[in-house]
Amino acid sequence: MAQYFDVIIVGAGPAGSVAALKLAREGLNVCLLERGSRPGAKNMFGGLLHNTPALNEMVPSFWEKAPLQRHVYKKVLAFMTPESTVSLTFENENFDRPPYNGYTVLRPAFDNWLADEAVKAGAVLLCDCTAEELIVKDGQVVGITVKGREGELRSNIVIAADGVLSFLAKKAGLRNDFSPGAMGVGVKLLLGMPEATINERFHLVRDQGADIAFLGIPEGIRGGSFLYTNRESLSVGMVMHLDSLRKSGKAPYEILDNLLQHPQVRKLVKGAIPLEYSAHLVPEGGIKAVPRVYTDGMMVVGDAAGLCYTNGINLEGINLAMTSGALAAETALKAVEAHDYSAAMLSLYKKKLDETFVMKDMKKYKNSVGMMRIDRLYKTYPRVLAGIMEKVYKVDGTPRTKLLRLARRETLKEIGLKDVIADGIKIGRALL
Amino acid sequence: MNIENIQQLTQFIIDEKPHIVIDKEICRSCDHRACVQSCPANCYTWNEETNLMSVVYETCLECGTCYVVCDKGAVDWTYPRGGYGVNYRLT
Repeated sequence: MAQYFDVIIVGAGPAGSVAALKLAREGLNVCLLERGSRPGAKNMFGGLLHNTPALNEMVPSFWEKAPLQRHVYKKVLAFMTPESTVSLTFENENFDRPPYNGYTVLRPAFDNWLADEAVKAGAVLLCDCTAEELIVKDGQVVGITVKGREGELRSNIVIAADGVLSFLAKKAGLRNDFSPGAMGVGVKLLLGMPEATINERFHLVRDQGADIAFLGIPEGIRGGSFLYTNRESLSVGMVMHLDSLRKSGKAPYEILDNLLQHPQVRKLVKGAIPLEYSAHLVPEGGIKAVPRVYTDGMMVVGDAAGLCYTNGINLEGINLAMTSGALAAETALKAVEAHDYSAAMLSLYKKKLDETFVMKDMKKYKNSVGMMRIDRLYKTYPRVLAGIMEKVYKVDGTPRTKLLRLARRETLKEIGLKDVIADGIKIGRALL
Repeated sequence: MNIENIQQLTQFIIDEKPHIVIDKEICRSCDHRACVQSCPANCYTWNEETNLMSVVYETCLECGTCYVVCDKGAVDWTYPRGGYGVNYRLT
């Protein structure tokens, strides 16, 4: 086995494997390092693979080849209180034909497939290898040490695709400590259910899938819940801000249990069989939490670079990750051609990130990080909304109130006018 | 749905060497012990009688929540050796 590579990529997740695939296709000597016994063994997410042109460029019509579950035809945004949900459902024929807008995915299978594409292109995949220390020579990263299969590997460039807790980025001095205010924890239960039951219960046909996002965790924790339909299973779980979870004094699995007991969720998951439980951190600090993404001999991609954002409606990460992997690979190619692995050369990667939707969207929604930290968004506003809807529909022999007056009354019952205005400004600045 | 035993659904390849080491002295004087409640895998237990924190690394999902919520520096947390630890099959 060659101990020396043009590029070592740490982490065979979506960002790392895309980078490896691109570099191997160009004939570079690439090592893809994975700490699991196979790619995907350590990885979980809610369940949505967004359409990613960078992936389609490398594997045209990837949806015909990759192990995907269903394409997302139905999007539901639901505001949740302990008794009710107020939802907006969007079903769209344009999401029912290729190139599909998104897919539900199970990571052990998908990540393994993508890494295998890189291997087929000539990348060397080393599993059972945890990257431990960076090897630095004259201020430049020139390799890594490995624990598991002990040893060291040398290269001209290291691409850190080592996930949300990127110890490599930290060891390279590119980022500060990990802070609970910039992290969410996701927990998920995979539930087995027959395909026909899923189709009937969620009103789907063929390979159509549903993505239900619940805003508001009844315990008042800042976070959201999700339910995705796979072919023969449901991915149900939630993402919670770590500082808010800590303050709540509740355990994640208790909160998950309460979600599954919620009257409107219970009937969706009835009869399903628990298959696997998983948890993972999510970078939620927005653009302010993005570390420096390059240094001499090293670039940082995907979750390791904090490339993930939510604005309450969109929640994107995997598409940003894969695109960043492709851009780091493009930069590495230029660097290898020029025999220049300096930070000045690798700064091209940051420039490329800035020019694409990756950093443009991270910047666009920079204010949504603050918006998502409004506690009232998760408990009070869903309650106000549900209160309005109840009175809109309720028939009880008393005279009706017109909508504006009703909305005002229901809102001011729960929140002071000053807070409503302050929240309105925050939400407006984040989304409008 | 009964989810009492969901943690047993996940597969682990157990290393004899722990990847989490805690400083029990620091835990003893900790004013929040957020790790106990925040860990999605219920790995941490605080014993009121003995004033001792204990951690079960064998069923750790490797999310790193404890490492991030501990602001006392009591949690020495690394990724397990290659090939060991949680092994997701389906998720």
